[in-house]
Amino acid sequence: MENKKNLDRRKFLGAGVLAGMTVVGAGALLSSCKKEATNASLGLPPILKGAPKGRKLRAGLVGAGNRGTGAAINFISAGPDLEIIAVCDVFQDKIDAFRERFKSFNLEIPEKNCFTGFDGYKKMMALEELDVVLLATPPRFRPDHLLEAILNKKHVFMEKPVAVDPVGIRSVIASAKKAEALGLCIVTGTQRRHQEDYIETYKRVKAGAIGRPTAAKAFWNQDHVWFRTREAGWDDMTYMVRNWNNFCWLCGDHILDTHIHNIDVINWFMGKTPVNAIGNGGRHRRVTGDQYDFFNIDFDYGNGVSSHSYCREIDSCTNRTGELVMGTEGYTNCVNTIWDLDGKVKWQFEYPKDENGNAMNQLKIPAYVQEHMHLVHAIRKGEYVNQAEQTALSTLTAIMGRTAAYTGQLVTWEEMMKSDMQLGPKELVFGPVDMKFEVPVPGTPPNI
Amino acid sequence: MKLSNAFKGKYAKFLFVGIGILLSVLFILSLEGVSDYTSSDKYCVSCHIHPVQDQNWRLSEHYNNKAGFVTHCIDCHLPPKGHGYLPAKAKHGIKDVYGKLFKDSASFDWETRKTLENAKGYVYEQSCIKCHQNLFPATLSVNGSNAHLQYVNAPEGTKPNCINCHLNVGHYDKNNLHAHNASFGVTETVAKELFAETTHIQKFENFAEKVPGTTLTFELVAIPEGTFEMGSPEKEELRKPDEGPVRKVHLSRFFMGKAEVSWDEYLEFFKATASQGRKEAVVNQPVTDAITGPTPPWGAPDQGWGKGSHPAITMSWKAANTYCQWLSKKTGKKYRLPTEAEWEYACRGGSKDPYFFAGSPKKFSSTGMMNKIFGPDTTVINSYVVYKVNSSSKTKEPGSVKANPFGLKNMLGNVAEFCSDFYAPKSYKSASGETLNNPTGPENGQEHVIRGGSFKSDAKDVRSAARDFTKTKAWLMTDPQMPKSVWWYSDSNDVGFRIVCEADSTVVGQ
Repeated sequence: MENKKNLDRRKFLGAGVLAGMTVVGAGALLSSCKKEATNASLGLPPILKGAPKGRKLRAGLVGAGNRGTGAAINFISAGPDLEIIAVCDVFQDKIDAFRERFKSFNLEIPEKNCFTGFDGYKKMMALEELDVVLLATPPRFRPDHLLEAILNKKHVFMEKPVAVDPVGIRSVIASAKKAEALGLCIVTGTQRRHQEDYIETYKRVKAGAIGRPTAAKAFWNQDHVWFRTREAGWDDMTYMVRNWNNFCWLCGDHILDTHIHNIDVINWFMGKTPVNAIGNGGRHRRVTGDQYDFFNIDFDYGNGVSSHSYCREIDSCTNRTGELVMGTEGYTNCVNTIWDLDGKVKWQFEYPKDENGNAMNQLKIPAYVQEHMHLVHAIRKGEYVNQAEQTALSTLTAIMGRTAAYTGQLVTWEEMMKSDMQLGPKELVFGPVDMKFEVPVPGTPPNI
Repeated sequence: MKLSNAFKGKYAKFLFVGIGILLSVLFILSLEGVSDYTSSDKYCVSCHIHPVQDQNWRLSEHYNNKAGFVTHCIDCHLPPKGHGYLPAKAKHGIKDVYGKLFKDSASFDWETRKTLENAKGYVYEQSCIKCHQNLFPATLSVNGSNAHLQYVNAPEGTKPNCINCHLNVGHYDKNNLHAHNASFGVTETVAKELFAETTHIQKFENFAEKVPGTTLTFELVAIPEGTFEMGSPEKEELRKPDEGPVRKVHLSRFFMGKAEVSWDEYLEFFKATASQGRKEAVVNQPVTDAITGPTPPWGAPDQGWGKGSHPAITMSWKAANTYCQWLSKKTGKKYRLPTEAEWEYACRGGSKDPYFFAGSPKKFSSTGMMNKIFGPDTTVINSYVVYKVNSSSKTKEPGSVKANPFGLKNMLGNVAEFCSDFYAPKSYKSASGETLNNPTGPENGQEHVIRGGSFKSDAKDVRSAARDFTKTKAWLMTDPQMPKSVWWYSDSNDVGFRIVCEADSTVVGQ
């Protein structure tokens, strides 16, 4: 008590000010503390254990092949109240197989919601009750499918690549902007962008863990891919669409089909698209179609920074896929590890452990499913997502690389953005197709 | 408390402040009222006596649309509130009151006022954006999407203005077709006799060329061999540094088109060679038997000003050059674009003065302080040159002006003319003082020389020595095609060309 009484006015003021300063100072100190950037603030997808509950979402599938069927199963396994109620494909047998598969899960797709032919997607997308469409046809058809989906006000999941030529790319970018204006979500199948290990690595690189990027490489080398030989009774169009993975106008070549994953990661980590590409490629072992077996591309990101991008589909060779980004203070494989310049591990992603306590070396939820969780999360929680433009730009990067290899020329981004290259026949109908399918020869005018 | 007390003592202060606030509020409200009233269409029309513009507005998309939504005068012609609304209102208001009191509205040149350059002065882009917030409505066409992608991706400072493409959305213009003009120039059929053969030149003198298989004929003037001083001396008024140093140039004789190539002439070529193909690689191939000509243009290349003997415009340099190749093939003569030296020699017609007629650039120009206030002297220049002051922002037919000493018309003004030389600002400096013989300009370059100025030019830019050059990127800014046309400029309407026919012994007396 004595002390308190003796605390005179001046002293009291002084103490009060001091205390006040301490509080303010602490606050300032706290707020100046670097807040860890959140996934949302970096434009990254949330990592989810499952899609949130919410209103029932009904989806229709466009393209009922392997990946389409997979995507449909991934969609319904992403969370509660997710259904596939419609399907379309150019071939009836694909639809039958798809319905058979879903029947085995006790899920019936009603006959009236199944559509065949090149315009089947239009009929399917006109269904009022559809909320979401899954686009998983060969990429040549994607731009038209996306536009139709937006015109019918559907949310979209679509596979990569999103087009095979610059005309298609511009269409996708425009549709992306239309979707944004309407609040329609679009998630794309660039699964690395949905993987927690990649995302955590990206956050650290973004925060400066490897300094400024100075170089990169990206590679996808694997055995030969599937092909189909022509069967009796198949017309030109039937044959090509059944063997789509081997025709450039349908597939875009494997630099788009698979290598785009790596190219997309490099664009993501670099934070930009390359200004030009020069490269080479060729064909030794392919049996059908008009595509190359390998590509070797130098993507120039400006200021002396390049990404060496290469891919191959030939058996009995060294097979590796992955990425590497080199910086001024270290390097990373983009997926789970960051090294310093001496090769010492600076950071490593901790994978979940199995029941025996051993690290699993992979994520619990496959990225294929995580993508759909993200889409459903965005729709149900109102946290808007639209990855179409980003994936279109990575697809165009791959197209630029392909064009550089096919022609032997230096190809610039500006040329690609303006190009009127559009692959494939003018009209999409079954029957004979009047097109030449010469394998491109560098140094000669392109036949496309 | 007595009322009088209210003005005394401690209440007074509050009362005055209160009255002050009340008056201010009333004043502001009345201002708001005045401001609203003076922003109504009715009020605008009460001074702006332009029934045609009023009518065009009613016919435009901004009035005549499905939704029945009316966009009012000030929605476009003033910026939105918060973007300098009141200052702009004050500025335009003062101008309008001045115009109302001191000018005769019947004398206003509405054609000039509705050109893009002028429209930018009283159409506010912020106003466009205030209403048109979604640049990608779901039903936007492919070309529209491409154009808007270009717009959003263009770096700040190079972005086109909305009205670069959408000039006529507020005031309908039937000439402004916003589409491929597939029927351009091909629907007109004239029942005239086709020339069986070309004109054979016996002597070096003026002649009328006839193009076999067509009804096309045009006049050429024989320009004699000679030596002249090219460029402008440093003391010439309102000159630019790229016109010097003056150099001596000797030129062989040649024929030159008496007037700029007309639509009648150009359309013969267009009809004969028009194509769908527009690959750069194809048109760069050496000229073989079949000459690939222009694609259908976008919109109306003649701007709705009339074809006939009006100078052809909006074709690219490449198209003009291809025209000469076609004409050579048709006639067996050697037609080409003039070199810059030939052009200036022909223009001067022996004169060393700024113009081929008497007069001073400073007197003719509208740029000086005195001329801005009192107006430039136009008496002499008026009869020779179609330029900013007398053109109503349009091309004119050659009949409207007098010829130069060689007998050539519209060398200065009307439309600027392509030359075969690449442009370089210092191309004269490389000369060594000796007399140059038939110079052809720099070996390499990006843009070509254009000469003579146009109907848009100030008098200082229609001097004989004044130089200018093509601006390919800017002239294709709003072309929505991918890739952009190599045959037509979407954003240039005051450049055309004039042809030269070589007069060596293989041509004359053949």
